[in-house]
Parts: sequence; C-alpha cells; structure tokens
Amino acid sequence: MFDQLVAKLPVGICVVDEQYRLQYLNAFFLDRMRPDQRHNYLQQPLISIFPEQAKFLTRRIKSVFVLQHPSFSYWEQRAHIFPFKSSRPITGEETQMYQNMEIVPISGPSSEQKLACIILQDVTAQASYLMAQQELASALKQEHTAQRKLIKKLDSAQSQLIQAEKMASTGQLAAGIAHEINNPIGFVTANLATLKDYSEQLLNLCDALADKLQVTSPSLAQFSAQTMDTYHYELLKEDISPLVDESCEGLNRVRDIVENLKQFALEESTGWQLFNLHETTQQLVKLVGAQYKAPVYKVSCNPPNLQIFCEPASIKQALTNILINAAQSIKCKGFVKIDIRATAQRVSIKVIDSGVGISAENIKKIFDPFFTTKPEGMGQGLGLSVAYTAIEKHKGKIIANSNPGRGTVVEILVPVVHPEQRHECAEPLGGS
Amino acid sequence: MSTESVLTADQRDALQELMNISMGQAANSLAHLIETKIGISIPKIASVTPEQLFSMISEQADAYYTRQSFLGDIQGEVMSVVSQQGLCEVGALLEYDAPLSQTDIQEIILELSNILAGACLAGLSAQLALGTNLNMPTLFSPRKANFEEFQWSNSLVMEVQFDIEISSFSMRVVFCLDDASLDRLTQTLDELLG
Ligand SMILES: Nc1ncnc2c1ncn2[C@@H]1O[C@H](COP(=O)(O)OP(=O)(O)OP(=O)(O)O)[C@@H](O)[C@H]1O
Ligand SMILES: [Mg+2]
Repeated sequence: MFDQLVAKLPVGICVVDEQYRLQYLNAFFLDRMRPDQRHNYLQQPLISIFPEQAKFLTRRIKSVFVLQHPSFSYWEQRAHIFPFKSSRPITGEETQMYQNMEIVPISGPSSEQKLACIILQDVTAQASYLMAQQELASALKQEHTAQRKLIKKLDSAQSQLIQAEKMASTGQLAAGIAHEINNPIGFVTANLATLKDYSEQLLNLCDALADKLQVTSPSLAQFSAQTMDTYHYELLKEDISPLVDESCEGLNRVRDIVENLKQFALEESTGWQLFNLHETTQQLVKLVGAQYKAPVYKVSCNPPNLQIFCEPASIKQALTNILINAAQSIKCKGFVKIDIRATAQRVSIKVIDSGVGISAENIKKIFDPFFTTKPEGMGQGLGLSVAYTAIEKHKGKIIANSNPGRGTVVEILVPVVHPEQRHECAEPLGGS
Repeated sequence: MSTESVLTADQRDALQELMNISMGQAANSLAHLIETKIGISIPKIASVTPEQLFSMISEQADAYYTRQSFLGDIQGEVMSVVSQQGLCEVGALLEYDAPLSQTDIQEIILELSNILAGACLAGLSAQLALGTNLNMPTLFSPRKANFEEFQWSNSLVMEVQFDIEISSFSMRVVFCLDDASLDRLTQTLDELLG
C-alpha cells in the first residue's frame, strides 16, 4: 500500500545510495523521463541520467551523507535542477519546471545502509505568480517614478506660468507707469528749455548792468563787483549752462527708456502685421543691455530698417529669449552681436556671443522644454523651447552651433512672407 | 542578560557541557565536508529580551541573516548571522565557481546556515535524547520593528561562533527556545543531573 502511495505522490521521490546510484524513483520522476531510461534506471548513477546539475547534486547529497542532516534548495536560487517541464498557470505556456528540493538522510532495509532521498516539488505555479507579481511591482514602481517626475515638471510649469502671468501684469504696470511718467517728463522738458533761455537772459542782463556801471559810476561799479563776488557770480555763470544741458540730456534718456518700455509693454497687437525688425532689435538690445551689462552689444541689419511681415509678439519673444541666453552666457567680458540679413526668400537673424558655449552633449537638448544648466530657480529651461514654437509658427527654424569655451551662434531662419499671402501662413487671425 | 532566572547553576553547567560537545561535533562534520579546519567559540547561554536579542543579532555590520524554525520535543528558532567577509573563499570550498552571482551567494548562505544549524541542533538533540526536525531556512533582514512584535518577553538563547581558518569568514548561530521547550529542557537536564 505504501509503495502505491509513494508512487502516486504529487512530489518527486528519488532514492540514491552512498555511491549516488539510483535505488528508487516514483511516478513523478518516471513519467517525465525518456522511455528507454524508465525501465532500467536501477543502480544507474544519478548523474548519468540527470547530468544537468551534476556538481550541485553530488555536493548536496554528499553533505546529507556526511552530516546526516537534510539539505534544501529553492527555486529562487536554483530554479531548475531536473530538466522537467511544467505549465505556467498565468500564460498557460509550457516552461521549465520551477523546483524546490529537499534531500533527507534515510536508512535502507538493513539499517546500516545509508540512503539519501530527494524530494522534489513542482513550484512553477507559485514561482510564476511571484514573478508576475514582481514584474507588476517593478512596472508599478517605474510608473510611479515617471509620475513623480511628471508632477515635478507640472509644478515647475505651473510656477513658470505664474511667473509669466506676473510678467504680463508687470508689463501692464510698466505701460501704465510709462504713460504716467511721460506727462511730467513732457512739461519738465519744456520748462527746462525755457529755464535755459531765462538763465541765459539773466546772465546777459547782469553782464550788461555791470558794463554800464563801469562807465557811468565807478563807486557803484565797485559795489556791484563786490556783491557779484559775494554771490560767486563767475562760478554761477560758468556752471549754469552745462548743468541745464546735462539735465536736458538726462531727461532725454529717461524719455527713451520710457518709450522703449511702452513699445514692449503695450505690445497687444497680436496677429500678423508688418514690423520693423531692425528697430525692434535695437530697442530689445537696449532693454536686455540694461539688465546684462557685461557684454558689448552690436546690431547690424542688411538692408537697414528691414520690415518683415510676421506675428511681432512671438518673433519678439523668440528674439528676447535668445538674446537673454547670449547675454547670460557672458560672465565678465565679451560681445553679443546680432546680424540680420534678408534675401528675397528668407530672413536670417544670427545671435552671436563670445560666451561659455554649449557642450556637444547638451546642444542636442537645449530646445527640450525644462532643459536647463542654470542653477535651481535661475532658469526654467523654457526660453529656447518657447522660441522654437514661435519660430515654428512662422514655418522657420532655429539652428544652434557652439564652440564650448569660445561662444555660440543661434540662427533664426524664417521664410519671407508677403502680406497678400497671409492667409496661407500659420493660423488664421482671430476676428479678421 | 542573565541566566539565573531560567536555569540553576547546575543546569547551566550541564547545558554548557552538552553544547560544547554537540557544537564540536557540528564543527567536525562541517570540517569533514569542506575539508578545512574550523574553529568554534565557547557557546554562550543567556536569557534575553527581544530587544537584547535584536542587538545581539544586529551588532555585526556587513552580515547576512537567515532563520529557520525547528519542531519536535523542543521547539524554537535558529538564527544565523553570516559574515559577508570571506564568503568568496567559502564559496570556493563549496565548489562554486568565481565570481559568485547574487543567487550563488544566497544559496551559499542558506546552505551554510542549514548545515551548521542542523549539525548543532542534531548534536544537542542527540545529547539530550530529544527528537527535533529543522525546517528549511529563509533569508531575512532583522529590523527592530519585527523584534518588538515578538510574543515573548524572555527567551533562552544559546550562541556559538564558527570561524573558518583559511579566511576571515565567521558565522554565528543563535538558538531561541519557547517557554514550553524551556521547561522540557530543564526537566531533561535535571534527569541527566540525576
Ligand atoms: N547662448 C548660449 N550660450 C551658452 N549656453 C546656452 C546658450 N543658449 C542656450 N544655452 C543653454 O541651453 C539651455 C537651455 O536654454 P533655455 O533658454 O531653453 O533655458 P534657460 O535659459 O536655462 O532658462 P529660461 O530661459 O527658461 O530662463 C541653457 O540652460 C544653457 O545651458
Ligand atoms: Mg534662457
């Protein structure tokens, strides 16, 4: 009865003697062996029938004989000891059987005969569940990290949007202030011109009086000379006109800056229109130069006062971003040159700087949103990707070339569009 | 750590002696198997709280851990602390090809724990004429948390350290007994003491 029981057990039973020769195999083993091996396995060396893990099996069986103590092996460390097949319950496909093995010392019929019994368990189901679960877990983990990254990007995009919003309202504010400043500047300028006249006349008056006294009344002339001395008349006369001139000049500069600010801040005219690229670029350089003072700026345009038909807001945006990058690339000394050229077909705007440059590895990524090498909080890595989108809108392209340590050239190329072709290019205008 | 509360001096001495003999046998079997000299420390016997057990187990940096329960006349758990140092040499003794893969290392640790814990337990059971069966070992990493969740407040532990002469490898085996088994053990010791 026990023989039948052992034969039918759902685990593999294999008994070997101290010479590793097979003494018994149950049906679990026999069913999975070649027919020719099935019938005359008795007294065959175990490893001649199962050579796959010969070294391992021999060592483990030896340990059992020497120590008279069970030995264990798990599928996690050694999945397949005997070359049996099993079906994977998840996919249903046949695979190598995953096995747990235990070898226990037993004694033979004559109790001094030492035997070792290999008990083999098919744990394919368990193993494949576990592996599927692990795969799932690692997929989940990957997804999780990807999501974390996305969330971080979203966060930074949001703060960028807030920043943009702020900039927009700062722009509005600047426009408002510019307008307010313009009025007083107007009358201060006018008044100053009048004051200049008045002061000249006053000086003339004094000089005329002094001259006359010199001739008519030497005593009064003496008095007038003394009084003039007391009030430092000569100094006043010398100083007054350069002072007024300097003030006029200062006022002119203030008016220029306000004018530029207004031009940019009041840029509400989205949509396609003719636009003076040369002049705008010069204004832009003034604005950027006010903030980044290290480089020397130079603008050249051929033909001068080039007008192009485009969407000014986005072109300005692109140019600003590229210009700021160039300016930021110069740490203490250097130049930023903007070279505009137009042919009948296309316009090229080259922004050339003598700054730190971009490594070959980074240059592939500079147009990617959020790619930045600037310290946290300094750059969002959006400048060039925004520029890229803007230029793409104009069916143009941006090319960057750099020589690390020497400088960078970023070139915008846009096709020339004529106003009558407007409907063919980019999006239709809202409302028109 | 003290033993007074659980064992009398006589019981303690007797157990110490039995441990010496059985651990020596264990070391001999292992030495025979891997054909290398093996040194053993004098077994330590103590009564510990879970926290003490935790610090005992985890005082060694760079170690692998396994545990394995045993059932029978006395029941409990064996924990093995296997040094990471010198494991390669041991792998070579066990006929593993260098370099060892992660699964090779796991297999070696499990096998070593099984061999030593098994040999120790077998020796001790034989000396005490008690029957025990060791279950398969599993890898684990001790965390304070799982020790704090232990259901007992005091347990008898027996600890022994094995060193392999040719390398810096060492391994500690810690036996823990539950209360019922402790009674059984003291009873048996008393019988032996007559
Ligand atoms: N002229 C340049 N010289 C050197 N590096 C440049 C230049 N232009 C771009 N880069 C590099 O390309 C990166 C991406 O530029 P981009 O304008 O997209 O983002 P940013 O300047 O870092 O941040 P943001 O413009 O959003 O403030 C920069 O961080 C910088 O490393
Ligand atoms: Mg930028």
